[in-house]
Amino acid sequence: MQRDVFVLVEHWGGRVETITYQMLAKGRELASALGGQLVALVIGHELDPVTEILRDKGMDKILAVDQPALKQAGADLQAHVIAHVAKQTDPGLVLIGYSLVGMELAPAVAAKLGSAAMTNCVAIELRDGSFVVTRPVFDSTLHAQILLEATGPAVVALQKGVIPPIQAGENTAPVESVEVDLGGIACRAKLLEIMEEPVTGIDISKADVVVSVGRGIGDKEKISIIQELADALGGVMACSRPVVDVGWLPRDRQVGASGKSVAPKVYIACGISGASQHLSGMTESQRIIAINKDANAPIFQVAHFGVVADLFDIVPTHTKSAKGKG
Amino acid sequence: MKIVVCCKAVPGVVTEVKAEPDGRSLQYQGQFLAMNECDESALEEAIALKRAHGGDVTVLTMGPIVALDTLYMALAKGADRAIRIDAQTHDPQSASAVLAAALRKLEYDLVLTGAQSRDTLAGQVGITVAERLGIPFAYAVVEVQVAEGNAVKVRKEMGGGRYALVELSLPALLCVQTGIQPLTYVPPARMMRARQNPVRSLSLADLGLEAEQLGARGYRFLNVFPPQRTSQVEILHGGPQEIAATLLSKIKEAL
Ligand SMILES: Cc1cc2nc3c(=O)[nH]c(=O)nc-3n(C[C@H](O)[C@H](O)[C@H](O)COP(=O)(O)OP(=O)(O)OC[C@H]3O[C@@H](n4cnc5c(N)ncnc54)[C@H](O)[C@@H]3O)c2cc1C
Ligand SMILES: Nc1ncnc2c1ncn2[C@@H]1O[C@H](COP(=O)(O)O)[C@@H](O)[C@H]1O
Repeated sequence: MQRDVFVLVEHWGGRVETITYQMLAKGRELASALGGQLVALVIGHELDPVTEILRDKGMDKILAVDQPALKQAGADLQAHVIAHVAKQTDPGLVLIGYSLVGMELAPAVAAKLGSAAMTNCVAIELRDGSFVVTRPVFDSTLHAQILLEATGPAVVALQKGVIPPIQAGENTAPVESVEVDLGGIACRAKLLEIMEEPVTGIDISKADVVVSVGRGIGDKEKISIIQELADALGGVMACSRPVVDVGWLPRDRQVGASGKSVAPKVYIACGISGASQHLSGMTESQRIIAINKDANAPIFQVAHFGVVADLFDIVPTHTKSAKGKG
Repeated sequence: MKIVVCCKAVPGVVTEVKAEPDGRSLQYQGQFLAMNECDESALEEAIALKRAHGGDVTVLTMGPIVALDTLYMALAKGADRAIRIDAQTHDPQSASAVLAAALRKLEYDLVLTGAQSRDTLAGQVGITVAERLGIPFAYAVVEVQVAEGNAVKVRKEMGGGRYALVELSLPALLCVQTGIQPLTYVPPARMMRARQNPVRSLSLADLGLEAEQLGARGYRFLNVFPPQRTSQVEILHGGPQEIAATLLSKIKEAL
């Protein structure tokens, strides 16, 4: 059975997010295997710049829902539009990037389609004509493999970085515009404004060496040992979310889905478990070193070099040797 | 303002995890049950809103009898009443159906949930509950303000250091992020007193549901396994000195 693959396009300020190009790469692979088309679905208002950037990125066509009412639409209205288009065209799969935007939309789209979304996935493949997804469970210490059996469109949200982004090709996809009747639908969640966090201190995304500290540090006073290592290596200190949540470091030091994305030459994770929302901000680092006392911590899945030890035994010694040899 | 907070008790450690033979759920032994982290943040936010604007806070959980402890903690922190639905499922569709059925029996202006539970890592139940109740929602909320005209204005994360300001008409459901409020400490004496409080118990039958309805629908667990490494990690051995020296050379090599 030929079925199309939809990829939901995430865009902001006329730009398309990297995660969308990754979804398009995976979507291309699956659409070809299914013998269907790869369709990019873009919703919003004044979308011409977005569709223009997208057209040579491997899809067979772009569906654009471009309406003034979508300018201030909250997630429920956006999900309504996506589900509406999916119902009309019945794709085999709606692929969504598991970014903060995708986290909000995927469950709502699935609910409106009457199905279960598969969120936070690290892999999706076709097996005998059905989709099989892999996703973490139990604090990412285990992966579950799940066979999708429903007949309606599957809604799958895939983590950032699990596939390289699609490259521009020769073909230019046609843009088809779709009208969705939004009359009579109350907009009960209204987007008022989007704000960008100002960088107040150091921009961690610019450094060659990032030494990142997680909850494993355990104590605000001890954070200085991480700063000392960062200084000795000529790098900057960053952190995982819990360290910011408790107020030990400012928000602009946070790496991950809701913080910054970094891709330094060297990323050293100290006492960080490696939850998907952290990994999505640092897996593109060239060399990843993890220091964690739990050998099963998921951070070791992405690290190139690992030290299974108490960070307090390793970090100060490391600082000394870094200083000693200049 | 009447607030219901959905709080889930999650295991700190699990062992013997495997897929049920029919693939409809995962079997496991869980230990060290505690309140899911962002649910605790949601609870703290509910209590803060009550202090600022009046009203009351109900905590709602679906889980086994051992989940009672997290409800007592919620009461000790300042919740007015607690309800436990005696049922268990990790399927987001079923869990949201059960919670939504209970919410239909309650009065609420605001429903708060956490963003994600640490066992399922799904981040779905809150939004799916909102969809079932037909109320607006926002995900990854980091700030809540009560606004004019029976509404709330929330600041929510959009990723990459961006935030959105969204206005929602009430009733609404908010999936709350960690860090929205500091977590308060509950002294043992207060916890002891909280245990004297009654906790209302609801069965699936009370909600017009049956246990057979719970569990995976439209998908099946094939298996569970430790993650395969995407990159080949080289684990460094030896004493701190030796490790530090190796790390330094690996870093220099990369620069
Ligand atoms: C919508 C959403 C967005 C999110 N965005 C982000 C984000 O942008 N960035 C982010 O980081 N997280 C984010 N999170 C949170 C994420 O899911 C994890 O909860 C978080 O990354 C965990 O941080 P951690 O690894 O520091 O803490 P934990 O998971 O608690 O891990 C601590 C680690 O330290 C180790 N450890 C403890 N003591 C020592 C020691 N002495 N020596 C060595 N190792 C030790 C432990 O073995 C453990 O692995 C988000 C979550 C959600 C739901
Ligand atoms: N059994 C449950 N009882 C109460 N609340 C729950 C339950 N399951 C999920 N929730 C709520 O839904 C949120 C998201 O859960 P999940 O979709 O499993 O990641 C959690 O943070 C809780 O607030």
